[in-house]
Amino acid sequence: MTNAPQRYERFVLPEGTKKVSYERDTKIINAASFVIEREDHTVGNVVRMQLHRDANVLFAGYKLPHPLQYKIIVRIHTTSQSSPMQAYNQAINDLDKELNHLKSAFEAQVEMMKQPGDY
Amino acid sequence: MANALRRIMLSEVPTIAIDLVEIEVNSTVLNDEFIAHRLGLIPLVSDRAMDMRFSRDCDACDGDGQCVHCSVEFQLSVRCDEDQTVDVTSADLISSDPMVVPVDVALAAARTEGFDSAENKGIIIVKLRRGQELRLRAIARKGIGKDHAKWSPAATVTYMYEPDIYINEDMMGSLTLEEKISWVESSPTKVFDIDPDTHQVKVVDAEAYTYDDEVIKKAEAMGKPGLVEITGREDSFIFTVESTGAVKASQIVINAIEVLKQKLDAVRLSEDTVEADEQFGELGAHMRGG
Repeated sequence: MTNAPQRYERFVLPEGTKKVSYERDTKIINAASFVIEREDHTVGNVVRMQLHRDANVLFAGYKLPHPLQYKIIVRIHTTSQSSPMQAYNQAINDLDKELNHLKSAFEAQVEMMKQPGDY
Repeated sequence: MANALRRIMLSEVPTIAIDLVEIEVNSTVLNDEFIAHRLGLIPLVSDRAMDMRFSRDCDACDGDGQCVHCSVEFQLSVRCDEDQTVDVTSADLISSDPMVVPVDVALAAARTEGFDSAENKGIIIVKLRRGQELRLRAIARKGIGKDHAKWSPAATVTYMYEPDIYINEDMMGSLTLEEKISWVESSPTKVFDIDPDTHQVKVVDAEAYTYDDEVIKKAEAMGKPGLVEITGREDSFIFTVESTGAVKASQIVINAIEVLKQKLDAVRLSEDTVEADEQFGELGAHMRGG
């Protein structure tokens, strides 16, 4: 047990580390990888699925390199109409909008169903 | 997105739980660590958790986790001086914040009957015999289920595709009433029913369908393949959320959406990353042009 990693290391970003780093592919234009620190399938999959809805994205995938390396790598390849960075930002903005919509729709429904003393 | 929300509800929606215990006197049969662990697992009302700070990034108390912004203090002091055993329960925990109390205590208070009723005496922590005593101070903190399962607000979270059930009415009309009854009863859950007047088969509870295929197999066995077609809608989900009581089930969903929004916001590209790439811009244009 002495060499077990601390539990918080799974989700606390160490000081001086960047949350997201960007690396352009050297061989293919409009291809890049994003390394996201301290995230897992929760964010990886949701971003990937959103990127798949973008017609300019030719490839989007993510991987969790190792269960004890608390980071994911998102790889994006786009057409020349877009760029990986643009597609990535667009995906996050669209997801944010979708979540805002979901939240207000859900709250409205909860308000309608409300009964005192519910659990 | 459905799976992301499920994962967040289980492990990233914050709640409050006892995290630090200072034992003053413990002459009970259970050791200190055992009691500290049991205290940690008591669900506390966590409606405040979304607005509280994590102790590790609280600047008001230098991260020692003992200020009002990030912690709640509990006192417990019970001594047994009689021949009968005394139960130490969650109701003996005295909170410094009336908003943060064990959930069973809050529920009992809401029902106004208190702890007199035989079945509701609080969550038992330890039992004392004559002469035994337990006295301690406990600090509850905000945390998430990823850190320790005691902070998880949800007992179970599941989701399924919403079923689309299509009954071939022409084929259904060719069945006798007995055949209809035996077909309706072939479903292990009550999804279909027969109208008592018109003898028409109708869907009464699509959500009860468990994708067991029993009705489809039954229709085939009856020589009527295609009697019913059931598909899962891939853009509509039915979630089942069971709360531990720390946060209301509906609130867990709302908090999970909020947490996912915060997580996505945190993974936005920072300004300097964008700038660093723009210096590559010329090279990029060159590559594109060439």
